[in-house]
Amino acid sequence: MAILALEAHRKSGLRQWKRKEATTAYLFSLPTILLLVGFSLGPAAYAFYLSGVSWNLLNSQHWVGLSNFSQIVTMPLFWTSVQNSVIFAAIVMPTQTIIAMVFAAILNQNLPARGLFRLAFFFPSISSSAVTSLMFMWIFNKLGLLNGFLLFFGVNGPDWIGDPRFALSAIMMLNIWSTSGYFMIIFLAGLQSIPQTMYEAAMIDGASGFQRFMKITVPLLKPSTFFIVVMGMIGTLQMFDQSFIISGGTGGPLNSTMTIALFIYQEIFSYGNVGLGAAATVFLFVLVLALTILTNRWLGKPIEY
Amino acid sequence: MEAVRPRGAWGWVSRIFYLLILTMGALTMIIPFLWTLSTALKPLGQALVFPPNWIPHPALWSNFVQTWKTVPIGSWFFNSGIVAVAVVVGNIILDSMAGYALARITFKGRSILFFGIISMLMIPFQAIMLPVYIILRDLGLINSYMGMILPQLVSAMGVFLMRQAFLNIPAEVEEAAIIDGAGRWRLFWQISIPMVSSTLLTLTLIIFMGSWNNFLLPLLVANNQNLWTLPLGMVMFQQQYYTNWPYLMAASVMATIPITVLFLLFQRWFIQGIATTGLK
Repeated sequence: MAILALEAHRKSGLRQWKRKEATTAYLFSLPTILLLVGFSLGPAAYAFYLSGVSWNLLNSQHWVGLSNFSQIVTMPLFWTSVQNSVIFAAIVMPTQTIIAMVFAAILNQNLPARGLFRLAFFFPSISSSAVTSLMFMWIFNKLGLLNGFLLFFGVNGPDWIGDPRFALSAIMMLNIWSTSGYFMIIFLAGLQSIPQTMYEAAMIDGASGFQRFMKITVPLLKPSTFFIVVMGMIGTLQMFDQSFIISGGTGGPLNSTMTIALFIYQEIFSYGNVGLGAAATVFLFVLVLALTILTNRWLGKPIEY
Repeated sequence: MEAVRPRGAWGWVSRIFYLLILTMGALTMIIPFLWTLSTALKPLGQALVFPPNWIPHPALWSNFVQTWKTVPIGSWFFNSGIVAVAVVVGNIILDSMAGYALARITFKGRSILFFGIISMLMIPFQAIMLPVYIILRDLGLINSYMGMILPQLVSAMGVFLMRQAFLNIPAEVEEAAIIDGAGRWRLFWQISIPMVSSTLLTLTLIIFMGSWNNFLLPLLVANNQNLWTLPLGMVMFQQQYYTNWPYLMAASVMATIPITVLFLLFQRWFIQGIATTGLK
């Protein structure tokens, strides 16, 4: 009897202690939970609600169901923005991933001045999008550095930013330039976990540098690649800063730099169509989510040796 | 780490080839910055010469002084600084607390909470700018420092980074203190925090950089130009006034200096942080 009581007491003490621990843990996380709900999860959910209302921030909201969606899908500007964002992502994401991987593999060799090279590659990604966009506006100027360089080869360069055929390409170059180094660091960290003995064994078997890269480096870097592809995709599909800054907020010339994020910005701040902007936001979410799931199927499987 | 040594003539050829590629890549990365500096030192007339000329003659260091006097760049520095410092302090405290709870305390709902926080990484700010703007507006935070600080005050990535750091503390360290009767708060502040100081430096750098470089949030919040931060101020300056490229480039150089100094001093921690958050 006494033992049972003691046991019960011990159990209730343990339960009490567990409850105290849980309370402490939630108290520690509470500010984080509140802020993330308030400024990430909440807004995401709120976007779904707002996509169903007609509202210009000043009048009273009224529920319109799905009509915002049926309205944006008939807007040519919306599809232009989707097309630009998708083309942008489809070119920038693979290019920056490949550049980052190749340069990481080279930098992982036993070469002199590795630290300096790493510094140079990483430097663009610590600068703000505002600064790099302004720098590249100047470089891409009709009479700028890039065209001066092209003239050296006898090519008359275009007005990169003023010509609708080239403006988006100019922003692509800027983005590849500014993010490749960041992803290269992630690949470099991934490379450190590949045992050198694998390369040595392959060399003894007579594998060339290219073969070693394709047969060892690429497959074993899959976890880093997966992360970089997902992060790169999310980043490129939401591209806003560079388009906004270089086009002066218009998405021009001729909407050639209009992205989905810029479309959303304009719907609310230029036209006051909260519902349409929210519908485009929901569209962007679904697009990103669908592509992430697809990538997960393609790259997310565990590595098979 | 011992790398594979090159063998024979072919090894040397490939080494030179690799170095050549690296040099070209590194030049591509650095030339835009050198060009910015070169333009910043030119008189306007010389900046517009085509084909471009690399060496400013004479080098007008006074462009920096003139830029400082012409545009309120001092006030932009001040605003960027206030926001960045507040955001860094908030993240250091809040990310560590949440990271500590997730790493060191066993409780019901821990893994759900952890994955819930990590999944917030999938919601980038650009995608939710519209609802965030409306929420900030309803809270009356448009045109306030608070409006630029609050949405950045915690970061899912920071919580993840801190959790990884706290996981690496051996259990014995805390057990000894628990036997001595220390509560969680003391375990956290006096025992665990000093053991993750290197990660705290990494967190500080990454969060500072994110806030200092942020363009979109100030664009939404700071309609009043007294609240403009550096990135916003520079873009507005370029769009509204004129295209005096030497001044713009001088402003760009000045805006990049704080991050550059931090980066050169603490390169190792920057890179460590990116490698950790990228590895998972």
